[in-house]
Amino acid sequence: MPGVTVQLKGSTTGTTTGPDGNFSITVPNTNVTLVFSFVGYLKQEVPVNGRTSLQISLQPDTRNLEQVVVTALGIKKEKRALGYAVQDVGGAELAVSKQTNVVNALQGKVAGVQISSTGGAPGQGARIIIRGLNSLDPTKSSQPLFIVDGIPIDNDTYVDPRPGIDDSRGMSNRAADINPDDIENISILRGGAATALYGLRAANGAVVITTKSGKAGRLTVGVSSTFGFENVNKTPDVQNRFSQGYLGVYDPDSFWPSWGPTVEEARRLDPTHPAQLFDNFKRAYRTGKQFRNTINMSGGTEKALFSASVSSLNQDGVIPFSDYNNYSARLNGELRFSPKFKVGASVNYINSGGNRVNADRYGEQLIYWSPRWDVKDFLKPDGTQKTYGTENDNPMYTLYSNRFVDDVNRIIANINATWSPLPWLDLSYRFGTDYYSDARSHTAPGPKGVVGELPLGDNGLGFVHEYQINKRLLNGTFVLNARNKISSKLSSDFKLGHDMYQYKLKSIATEGDTLDIPELLVLHNAKRVISNQREERYRIIGVFADWTLNWDNYLYLTLTGREDFTSTLHKDRNAFFYPSVSMGYVFTDHLKIPDGILTYGKVRASWARIGKDASAYRLTYGYTPLIDGPIDNTVIGWTRTDTKPDPDLKPEFTNTFEAGAELRFLQNRIGLDFTWYNSKSTDLLMSVPLPTSAGFDYFYTNAGSIRNRGVEISVNATPVKTRYFTWDVRANYSANRNKVLSLRDGVNEVVVGSQFGYASSTATQKYIVGLPVGAIFGRSYARYYGTDTEDPNFIDKSRPVLIRNTGDLRGFPLINTSQKYLGNTQPKWIGAITNSFSYKGIGLSFMFDVRQGVQKYNQFANFMAAFGTSKMTENRDQTKTFDGVFADGKANDIPVYLGQGNGPDGRAYGDGYYRRVYRGVTETFIEDASWVRLRNVSLSYQLPSKLLARTKFITGANITLTGNNLWLHTDYTGFDPESSSTNAASNADAFSGFTYPAVRSFLATINLTF
Amino acid sequence: MYRTMKKLLIYITCCSMLAFFGACKKYLDVNKDPNTSATPPLNGLLASTTYNTGYNVYRTGDFTSYFVQYLASPNTASSTDTYDEVDYSLTWTSIYNTMADLYDLVNTADSLGAYEHAGAARIMMALNLSMTNAIWGAVPFKEALSGGVIQPRFDPDQDVYQSCLALVDAGITSLNRTDGKILLDETRDLLHHGDAGAWKKTAYALKARLLNRITKKADYDPAAVLTALGQAYTSNADDLQLTQFQSRSPWNQAAVNNVNLTLDGWLSTHFVAALNDSTFGVFDPRLPMIATLTKFGDYRGTINGKGRIGTGTDDEESYLAVETGFYSKGGAPLLIMTYAECKFIQAEAAFRAGDKTTAYTAYLDGIRAHMDKLGVSPANRDAYVNSTVVSIGAANITLALIMKEKYVAMFLNPESWTDLRRMDYQYTDFNMPVNAVLPAFIRRVAYPSAEAARNSANVPPVGALSDRLWWDE
Repeated sequence: MPGVTVQLKGSTTGTTTGPDGNFSITVPNTNVTLVFSFVGYLKQEVPVNGRTSLQISLQPDTRNLEQVVVTALGIKKEKRALGYAVQDVGGAELAVSKQTNVVNALQGKVAGVQISSTGGAPGQGARIIIRGLNSLDPTKSSQPLFIVDGIPIDNDTYVDPRPGIDDSRGMSNRAADINPDDIENISILRGGAATALYGLRAANGAVVITTKSGKAGRLTVGVSSTFGFENVNKTPDVQNRFSQGYLGVYDPDSFWPSWGPTVEEARRLDPTHPAQLFDNFKRAYRTGKQFRNTINMSGGTEKALFSASVSSLNQDGVIPFSDYNNYSARLNGELRFSPKFKVGASVNYINSGGNRVNADRYGEQLIYWSPRWDVKDFLKPDGTQKTYGTENDNPMYTLYSNRFVDDVNRIIANINATWSPLPWLDLSYRFGTDYYSDARSHTAPGPKGVVGELPLGDNGLGFVHEYQINKRLLNGTFVLNARNKISSKLSSDFKLGHDMYQYKLKSIATEGDTLDIPELLVLHNAKRVISNQREERYRIIGVFADWTLNWDNYLYLTLTGREDFTSTLHKDRNAFFYPSVSMGYVFTDHLKIPDGILTYGKVRASWARIGKDASAYRLTYGYTPLIDGPIDNTVIGWTRTDTKPDPDLKPEFTNTFEAGAELRFLQNRIGLDFTWYNSKSTDLLMSVPLPTSAGFDYFYTNAGSIRNRGVEISVNATPVKTRYFTWDVRANYSANRNKVLSLRDGVNEVVVGSQFGYASSTATQKYIVGLPVGAIFGRSYARYYGTDTEDPNFIDKSRPVLIRNTGDLRGFPLINTSQKYLGNTQPKWIGAITNSFSYKGIGLSFMFDVRQGVQKYNQFANFMAAFGTSKMTENRDQTKTFDGVFADGKANDIPVYLGQGNGPDGRAYGDGYYRRVYRGVTETFIEDASWVRLRNVSLSYQLPSKLLARTKFITGANITLTGNNLWLHTDYTGFDPESSSTNAASNADAFSGFTYPAVRSFLATINLTF
Repeated sequence: MYRTMKKLLIYITCCSMLAFFGACKKYLDVNKDPNTSATPPLNGLLASTTYNTGYNVYRTGDFTSYFVQYLASPNTASSTDTYDEVDYSLTWTSIYNTMADLYDLVNTADSLGAYEHAGAARIMMALNLSMTNAIWGAVPFKEALSGGVIQPRFDPDQDVYQSCLALVDAGITSLNRTDGKILLDETRDLLHHGDAGAWKKTAYALKARLLNRITKKADYDPAAVLTALGQAYTSNADDLQLTQFQSRSPWNQAAVNNVNLTLDGWLSTHFVAALNDSTFGVFDPRLPMIATLTKFGDYRGTINGKGRIGTGTDDEESYLAVETGFYSKGGAPLLIMTYAECKFIQAEAAFRAGDKTTAYTAYLDGIRAHMDKLGVSPANRDAYVNSTVVSIGAANITLALIMKEKYVAMFLNPESWTDLRRMDYQYTDFNMPVNAVLPAFIRRVAYPSAEAARNSANVPPVGALSDRLWWDE
């Protein structure tokens, strides 16, 4: 390793290692001790003990000692100097889980950061929320800013603004394009003071990624291959007693999958009926597999350094026909012309995409598909679907014929130069771009017109929909950095800079349908073509300053300020100032506390104001064609756009205060980091729903405020450390509470999102003053309150349920049709604990990940009840007396039959309890989605270097076995509740019904270094 | 190399500083929306408003048809059938969105001197507003539509009615102007295809309809109704109807959905009985041109509120006919106001004025006009008209008979509900729905949640849905 400082202990004599890692040092005698040190590695003391040659390997510092961390705008700072919390994750740690999406790879690693994979599809988007939601606009992403090597990259999960096109396709969040193997380090900036230098772009925090760069020395080549397979980690329980039909009457052609008689009875009537029902919720999913190969190279001289990699990922998902491929190539280089001047550049090309199945629709169609029939038997020899009756489409045939493929070509590149004319002065400029084109095709063949064909409903008369999305980000940042020592104890570090940022988006949709030749999937084969185009431009300019004062290396004060000018606000009011002040105090150094129990102690506090501006084009309104295309294919009707603009728009502001402490005990064997924060976001921008009588449906204005407050605790410890054996423990805990503080006058609620439930049991996520942003509402069981008054929002679950004592539904619970608060999709707390053991070359680590106090709407359960699919409906031939009371307070004493048709008591029950009552109660489908899971287990073996030395060219070899999501504990009845019905950019995360199921994966990796 | 690079760095730095200080304003000037038209497109608005005015008649008729028992839900105790409170936000929103476009069309047309456009727009505004007035009574209008007031006040019931009449008169004034600079566009006027004269007839037809709505009021003036009718439609060719659609004609879509088992467009027992000879003893030849035969070979309706008998998929009842139905076949016209309606308005006004001869002639003309519209053969038409049940002679003509025939001729049109309420639902064998949640016939609907939630300070309180609107009292 080059550049390592080698020092004679107790003297000033020293040297550094050369490009090949060699060093030589002259020592007074052979009993001295040498001290080896390098930034980011543990300091190592080695007694020479008479030897003349030493082989030293430094251990990376995993305990954040004197750590240098990457802060806003890529500025590296000593962690001890910071007045706010920063946690970073090294490349090796990131690689443990072998996740293909870099966001998923961060799961459980950082306190205060909630990461949810939205589903198990290959390449599917992942959602990252830092310290809760702080915007009200349901359509505006709450994702943090992503920075790669100092340049902002796009992390949109782009979906068409028109619903129903690709919002159920699990599209990638664009950061998923990045190969995690290319990453050296990720620094997560959580609070306002940490991100204030980014101004209005980083109000949701920032994820600052540094990619691997070359190091001077011998050319090293690494090869890494990972092969893995995966399956669905949790499937819902289904009933297996009742067959196809309705009202208990068997009908093998019925639309109704499971309201028929028992299997035994059906078999008596139909000898072709299988002995057992097909468990289609298992049969519908396959074993997925993935194969990733990466080759990387790095090396260079003192003057020129480079690092390069190429990689390929091919993955097949657990839902048939879903796949994803990612190919990337990256080159990163730096030229050092002189000690005063260096230039660097990097370019990363990525091609990614695959067949994105509609998991939501698949789940829905699986519900309709009767377990009397095998879903895997979907294709007739003539290419048409195999189904039964005339009313059901085969879900697997839908996947087979209805394809949605995306193809992304992307370049992320930057060039940077630093000139240091004086020892205390640096000037640097960095310019970068992120450009991609995303070509999406949604195609389906038309009916073939053969005898006996049941054309697939979703495919209509066949269609070819082509979507072309082009987006370009440009960013330029100039920084002047002046360092000076004001006195022997006081030093100053001053930065002044400016920043320009812009993006341009163009999307074109060309949708053709009614195909002439049924299976020819090109646009010129479509008889009707509708097109739609959208362009968007956004620009900002910022000037900023950052001034850090350091008093004797224990007291630090940092002041930052940034003025932003945005294109999206009115010209006279488009400039805004974001200040921050933060302080760090290393009291152990100041008070010279002896290194007994407490080794290191620091307290810190910060205050900052950050903000967000408006989206583009919100200051005016215009006229747009009617949706659904031209009238009679010839006449375009134009209509006023539905949002009234507010010419006085202001940006949103978030004021954050945070305080914390960092303590390390017993020579750093135990470390504790604690943070408390409180942030209040005001003037929040949102589309206030207007009465349509006003002439507009929405008014885009500053309309509310939210508070987030919480704690974050990180602990790391090394309980055992011997020469060969080490045991490390790292734990993160965080709890965030948020609350809508105010909404504009006259606005009682803001609907964030809703999801259908049968019989008006639709669940709605709403913002209501005084409630958390994740509040979920819906219908509930009516309860008996006697003479007490019922709260308008909340249910008192201790009260008995009201039972009807008259009418058709006597004996059944009564439904309260007003919308009540039923749960909160924001967890009470999240945490993770990782244990790592290493013994010689063997390493074992496992992480438990916990999310508690969170509820989700299970639409899947609602459908399972409506269609007699769920296990609980097996009691449909039972009679039961519901617990509860009549309106007069007397206990219910009416036994009722739970099935359909006429009960054993002779009473007509119509289509039965589950369809008439149960499915209409949203409350029963808001489930506890808390979980504890074994997120990751990794076992690795480093081949001994002695063995490798014989090969002459292999310098390192490592085999790793990884398992992800191996164990899950949850009360949730559907698939894994971490998955979401909405895409990664959506704030409506209360819905976890028909999702792409999460997976359990097993992977094996070989790493070779040459 | 090194010097060049250094120069380049300084150059870039200077340029970006310059860009910042010098061209900042221009650099940020990219917020003009390139995706929409900033100015209102005159004929584009004409196209959307003529289209949506027609479509709003469907959107409204889609629930009033259950109140007047043209249709019945296949589901037991369906909310609309049983007079339960249903949220008609979508209809409300659609009508107000159309009126917002009409508001812009009126202003744009006036400023451009496109007086034919302005006249047609005012008449369409009156038509849309009169639909809201007929189902909700008091609605926002004077403060509405411009966006200037974000929570507009509601105008009293009677004021809205007067606004409708004023709009019709203003529309006629606009159409009478001869100094127009831009004339109506033939292809973008989807209702009268650029015929300003036809719009004027529509204005008078609407005026007659409106004046005839207040039969319960002291100032009801049958003479004024008849005067207006004098300049209204003179044949079926004048009818205001929509014939061009984005995809399917909406009632055709309902019929197609029903065939595809999204059950819709089921005929009510009351309507079927009124036409299939069970109520009046004569088979109306229009029934086969509307509904499907059951598997029993006859026509059967569904009792409102009772729901289906069987599975709903096996033709045990009559539905809107997807192939042969005049109202529900592919490309079926969506009727807004017709010559037949004018004839029945004439019959009623003349009857109320004591002129039974005119009333009787208009009554028979109305039946014939509607039958011709549907394409009933002259033989079948005359057989029906000449039956003793229908041709009872001028001396014996009754209001009930006129309204009974008007009811058939207004099939699916929301104005029919106004008629039933004016007649206090006194139609032969017209019964309360099964499972009704009201003790009496429905007289109005509740304000939709979209308005109630967003304009709660102004939405007037609504008692029972059996409470009467101003003109119904």
